[in-house]
Amino acid sequence: MHAEQTSAALVVRGLGKSFGRKVVEGLDLTIHPGEFYALLGPNGAGKTTTLRMIAGLMRPDAGSIHVFGRDVLADPLGAKSIMAWLPDEPLLYDRLSPMEYLEFVAGLWRVEPKLAKDRAETLLETLGLWPHRHERCEGFSRGMKQKTVLAGALIHEPKFLLLDEPFTGLDAASARLVKQMLQTRAEAGAAVILTTHILDVAERLATRIGILSGGALLAEGDLAALQLHAGVSAGSLEDVFLHLTAA
Amino acid sequence: MFAPASFPWLFLHELRVLWRGSILLRTRRYVLIPVLIVGFLFQAIALILASQIIRHPLPLSEMVLIANLNLFFFFVLMLSRAMTAAIDTLYSRGDADFLLASPIRPGRVLAVRMIGVAASVSAPWMLLGGALANALAIFRQFWALAIYPMLLAEGLAAASVAFALVVVLVGWVGPRIARRAGHTLALVMGVFIFALGQAPRYLPAQQLARFWKSLLPSEQGLGVTSLFGRGMLGQPWPLAASLSCAVLLFLAVWLVLGERFASGAISAAAYRPAGDAQAQGGAFRATPFPAVFMKNLRLLARFPGVVSQTVYRSLTLVPVVMILAGRIHNGTVQAVVPLLVFLTGQLALFFISVMVGSDESPELAASAPVAAGFLRRGALYAAGYSTLMLMAPPLLGVLLRAGALLPVLAAGMACVLVSNLALGFKMPIPLIKAEFGKAGNGTLMGLVLGVGVSSAWSLAAWLLVAPHPFAWLFVK
Repeated sequence: MHAEQTSAALVVRGLGKSFGRKVVEGLDLTIHPGEFYALLGPNGAGKTTTLRMIAGLMRPDAGSIHVFGRDVLADPLGAKSIMAWLPDEPLLYDRLSPMEYLEFVAGLWRVEPKLAKDRAETLLETLGLWPHRHERCEGFSRGMKQKTVLAGALIHEPKFLLLDEPFTGLDAASARLVKQMLQTRAEAGAAVILTTHILDVAERLATRIGILSGGALLAEGDLAALQLHAGVSAGSLEDVFLHLTAA
Repeated sequence: MFAPASFPWLFLHELRVLWRGSILLRTRRYVLIPVLIVGFLFQAIALILASQIIRHPLPLSEMVLIANLNLFFFFVLMLSRAMTAAIDTLYSRGDADFLLASPIRPGRVLAVRMIGVAASVSAPWMLLGGALANALAIFRQFWALAIYPMLLAEGLAAASVAFALVVVLVGWVGPRIARRAGHTLALVMGVFIFALGQAPRYLPAQQLARFWKSLLPSEQGLGVTSLFGRGMLGQPWPLAASLSCAVLLFLAVWLVLGERFASGAISAAAYRPAGDAQAQGGAFRATPFPAVFMKNLRLLARFPGVVSQTVYRSLTLVPVVMILAGRIHNGTVQAVVPLLVFLTGQLALFFISVMVGSDESPELAASAPVAAGFLRRGALYAAGYSTLMLMAPPLLGVLLRAGALLPVLAAGMACVLVSNLALGFKMPIPLIKAEFGKAGNGTLMGLVLGVGVSSAWSLAAWLLVAPHPFAWLFVK
């Protein structure tokens, strides 16, 4: 195993997937522990497909994926045990309460019961769900559902978080809170990869940004590096993004 | 064909959506072959019945009583189904919201929905009752065709009453409890009708005769009380009056509800603040199995129709209890074995279908560090456990009253349990209505095969305990 594969949080090499047409092609990606990586791209660029392959939910046609040294293809369960995946649509059971949902998720990830209970209580309180902890999720708003699944993603303290549009449905205060929670996780050594169409969020939050188009990585780096790559001396991430993806 | 956004245009859209969501479209063609065969058999039986009816004509008062009773049964069953459909229409926040966000007049949306519900609740009975009506019409008894408009009118009346009831109930107890009330109503109606059908078994003959006589309209009393029955028998004025009653009821409910529906007052009732939630959950588990097991049991326990559907299936227990209690004099105790084996199979199929169908987030478990087979086992064990818990009391009854039957019964139950759990996992029966924009799961094939497998195992068990189970057919 290469040294990079063991020291990096995520190493993707030559990743490819096609559904009749090529959705992801020859993708290389490296993310380090503590890094907050934003994967951007226009609709149909292959962002969600890439995240689903990394999460072990879809087998790639080509390439390799290592998460903290664990081969996602050869040892999917080992890799999943340190990952959390948050899709763009909340994966929730309408007929369970948030507490029961967290109980289920904690069980799946084998979190020690006492620890899981403490974490669940902390997360529900922090996310403002404590008064609703015993209500069924069926009556929740989109934002409350999103916060519940976020709590589920964090209850097993994953080392690697895959977040597909995590701020959808959240109000401003909740979005800020979630950003802080994710940054805290990153500062503790976890790696975070997120997709978003809100470029301001990516600009302020991400340590590094990757721009995907047509299933391939167009450019990667911080804002200054992207500006350089695009040949734009100044301008926001939005300007750079539009310039690169229009080319 | 029709102007966009007009009433018939919207009604056609509604029919198309109902048809696209129909189980028939999601079923493989060859599964429909046995269904068609049963349909033809049914029509053949109807022809025999029709010839008997013509050969042995009944007095008008008895005909009216029969028609009235049928109309009553149809109405209560239609009403229970219409209540569930009305709740879905008004409170499921699916395409109703989508339509209401369009420039179509809300009152038109409500009217189309009410007529759509009326058509969907009356259609099965039109198919069923239509077989006999068609057969009678073949024998030139054209009055029987009045069943079609009468059932449509009943559907319209049931839909109108259901919409009015649902709005009152939701405003009073909230949509979840209102939905449960709809299912409970369906259950009470079903049990009532079953109990009435079983009346000859538990009521002495004289008492039964008195009961029917009390319901029989006298020759002089063929007036308002028998209006609908006479309408069903094709008498023109009662038929016209019955149809008018249904249309007037529909218009009255539509006029009353239409304005409240348009103003959003009806849908606002669904957003009442939640009451005190009962303390639940919080028992965290160290390993995935109990977590998966508990999750599945919770999903099953909270499935909206779990009580009514389980009780419906468990009606098989009524003859079992009567046989074990010695109340059925011409029934042999061996008959409880096939009945219980069949019930086990049906419950197992239902429970596993609920668990598979209720799993709204299969990808959550797929992203967890557990093997796929493990999750499958969690659902299968939970469904098996639930089935066995329900079957334990009748098993105990057999142990106490006919212990010699227990080995065959236990073996038959084990076989049907394993078979139907595996079958239901692969092919869940259709239970859950597809949400707007989502495909529903469940297949008619699972239902047909499940009943077939349950029947096969129960027949095998029956043959083991009673080598000539149909001998009574040949006793004079």
